[in-house]
Amino acid sequence: MPELRKDPVTGRWVIIATERAKRPNDFPHPQGVPSEEPCPFCEGREDRTPPEIFALRPSKSQPNGPGWQVRVVPSVAPVLRIEGQLDRRGYGAYDVMRGIGAHEVIIESPRHCGDLTELSDEDVHAVLQTYQARLNDLQHDPRFKYVLLFKNHGRAAGGGYIPHVRSQLIATPVTPKRVKEELEGAKQYFHYRDRCLYCDMIAQERESGTRVVCESEHGIVLAPFASRFPFELCLLPKRHSCDFGSTAAAELQGIARTLRQMLTSLKQTLANPPYNYIVHTAPFRRPTSTRAHYWRTIKEDYHWHLEIMPRLTRMAGFEWGTGFYINPTPPEDAVTYLRDQQPQERHGTH
Amino acid sequence: MALTEPRKGQNHITSVPSESELRRDVVTGRWVIINTSHPSRVGDFEFESADVKGTGTCPFCPGNEAMTPPEVYAERPSGGQPNGPGWTLRVVPNKFPALQIEGDLQRRGIGIFDMSRGVGAHEVIVESTNHQWQLADLDAPDIARTLHAYQLRSRELRGDQRLKYVLIFKNHGVAAGASLEHTHSQLIALPVVPIRVADELNGCAQHFEYRDRCAYCDVLHQELEARERVVCETSAFAVFAPYVSRFPYELCILPKFHRADFLLVPDDELQDLARALREALRRLRSALKNPAYNFILHTAPIEEGNREDYHWHFELMPTLRQVAGFEWGTGFYINPTPPELAAEDLRNASI
Repeated sequence: MPELRKDPVTGRWVIIATERAKRPNDFPHPQGVPSEEPCPFCEGREDRTPPEIFALRPSKSQPNGPGWQVRVVPSVAPVLRIEGQLDRRGYGAYDVMRGIGAHEVIIESPRHCGDLTELSDEDVHAVLQTYQARLNDLQHDPRFKYVLLFKNHGRAAGGGYIPHVRSQLIATPVTPKRVKEELEGAKQYFHYRDRCLYCDMIAQERESGTRVVCESEHGIVLAPFASRFPFELCLLPKRHSCDFGSTAAAELQGIARTLRQMLTSLKQTLANPPYNYIVHTAPFRRPTSTRAHYWRTIKEDYHWHLEIMPRLTRMAGFEWGTGFYINPTPPEDAVTYLRDQQPQERHGTH
Repeated sequence: MALTEPRKGQNHITSVPSESELRRDVVTGRWVIINTSHPSRVGDFEFESADVKGTGTCPFCPGNEAMTPPEVYAERPSGGQPNGPGWTLRVVPNKFPALQIEGDLQRRGIGIFDMSRGVGAHEVIVESTNHQWQLADLDAPDIARTLHAYQLRSRELRGDQRLKYVLIFKNHGVAAGASLEHTHSQLIALPVVPIRVADELNGCAQHFEYRDRCAYCDVLHQELEARERVVCETSAFAVFAPYVSRFPYELCILPKFHRADFLLVPDDELQDLARALREALRRLRSALKNPAYNFILHTAPIEEGNREDYHWHFELMPTLRQVAGFEWGTGFYINPTPPELAAEDLRNASI
C-alpha cells in the first residue's frame, strides 16, 4: 500500500510509492561529455575568470595567481547584478524591482577534479569555511536578505559543461518562498511546543534508526521521513544552531567529514549520480529591519542544515503544479543501500 | 542551463530593458528573476524533442485494450463492447497507480510525523486512437471531448467523501515525465489539498479580502490591456505568457468568465477552450520544434467550487532545460527568457 507522508516543517505531503519501490540500479543517468577546452577553474589559469572576490591562500600568495586552496569569483553570466539600488515599484497588479544581488562561483579545488569526494576532509573543511566567509561578508550589505549556497553537480542537475568541482552562491534582496515556508513551519512548531522541530526530529530518528545514514560527533545524515526524491538526504548539525555562518571551526571540521562521507556513499551506491545540495540557514537579521521582531525566536526555533537531492527521476507536471511529490523509493530502503556502502564508518545507533 | 558559463547560441536585440528584473507573482508571492540582459530565445535551448518514435507494443493503441486495467469510461460513437476496439476516447486506471482507491485513510502520527494510507484514484485519459498524433494534431471538437472527459471523471470522483482535490495534468514527452508516448493525460484524486494549490487559494483569498476583486480577473484585465504578453485570444479565453513566468515560454490559459470551478464550465465554453488550447500547443510546437511539455488544470478543491475569490485556469510549461538546485530548494526561479519576448516569438510562429 502506498503511503502519504507529511513533511513536519512545511506541511507538504508526499506519496511514498511502496508498491513499486525502485532500487539504485533502476535509475540510469548518462554521464555528460566533458568539454575539450582548457579548464578556466584550474590553478594557473586565474586570468580566465573575473578577478577573485575571496581566496584561501595558506601560503600568502598574491591574489589572482596560483597558490590558493579555495577561490571565489563573480559568475561570468550573473543572473543578478551587484551595483545599484533596488528601485521597488508597482506595475498595475504586479510588483517588480531591479535585479540586484550577488552571484558568485566558489571554486573548491585548484586541481581539476569532479567532486568533493576526491578532496581530503581538510579540503572540504576549507570549502565550508569559504562558504561561511562569503555569507558573513555579504551580510554587511543592507540590500540583501538571504544568501543561497548551492551546488549543481552533473549536467542533469543543472551543472556546467566543465567538470571542475565548484558551488555557487546567490545573494537575494528578498527571502525566497521555500525558505520562508520552512522558517514559518519551524516557528509554528516552536511556539506550540517550546522546542526546536529539527532537534526533536534528530532525537526521534536516532531512536528509531531506520532513516539514519551515518553520524559523527557533530553531524547526522538522515533520509527525511517525507522525502520527495529517491535518496534525498539531509545533513544536520547535532548542536542546535540557526546559523551556518557562526559554526565554530572544530564543529565545522566534523561537519565537513560527515558531508564527505555522505557524498561518498551516494557516489558509490548510485554510480556518481547528478545531484543538487543547498545550505538552509537563517536569513540575515538586522536590528534596524522593520521585520526584526518577526524572527524574534529564530535562534531557538530554526536549525540550519544541508539538503541534498540526487537527480534520478524526471520531475513531471504533477509535481510542478502541486508541490505534491511521488517518491518511488521509501527513505528506509534508500538508507539500507547507503549504509551498505560504508561498512568501516558504522556507528552504534543503527 | 548552466548559471556560470556563457550561453551558446546568439542573443537577439530587443526592446526589453537591458537589465534583469525581480518580479513578484500576484497570487503566490513567489519572486522570479527575469534575465532581460542576455535573454535566451527559441534557438538557444538544447532539449530533447517529443517526437513520436512508435516502436514496441503500445497498451493505449486499439486492439491492445487487454493490456490496461478495465476501462472506467469510454466513448464509442459507433457502439462496441467495453474493453474492446471501437472507442475514440478511453479512460483507464493507471496500471501502476501512485494511489489506490480501496480502504480508508487511517490517518496517524508517528512521533512528530504525520501520515496516512495512500488512498485516492489515479487514472489515464487516452485522448486518441492514433499513436502518431499528439494532442495538438487533434481537431478542436476532439480536444473538447477530452476536456469533457476531465469533467465527467472529476464529477464522479467528487462523490467520494475521502477525496479533497482532483488534479488533472498532462506530461507530454519523456523530458516532461511521460512514460508512454501515446497521447494521454492523467487524473489523480487526492485525500489532501496539495501545498501549491493551497498557496494559490490563500493568495487569492488575501487579494480578495484586501480589494474585493479576484486576483486573476485583475491579471486578465491588465494583460488584455497591455497586450505585450498575449499570445492569442478566443471569445472566452486569453492565452498569455505570465508576467512572472518561472520557465521560458510558460503560458497561462485564463478564462475571461470568472469561475472557480472547471466543472461548471458549459459545453460551448469548453469548445472555445479546446480552440485556445489547440492554438497554444501548436504555437509552442512550431516555435520550439516540438518540445516536451506539461500542462496542469488549476481548479477549486472539491466542495469549494462556489468560492468567489478563485479563478480556474490552465498552466502550460514546455520542458526546455533542467531546473537547478537553486530553484528546487528555494522556489525562487531564474527565467532566461522574458515573457514579453516569449509571447512575441509565439505570436510570430507559423501554425
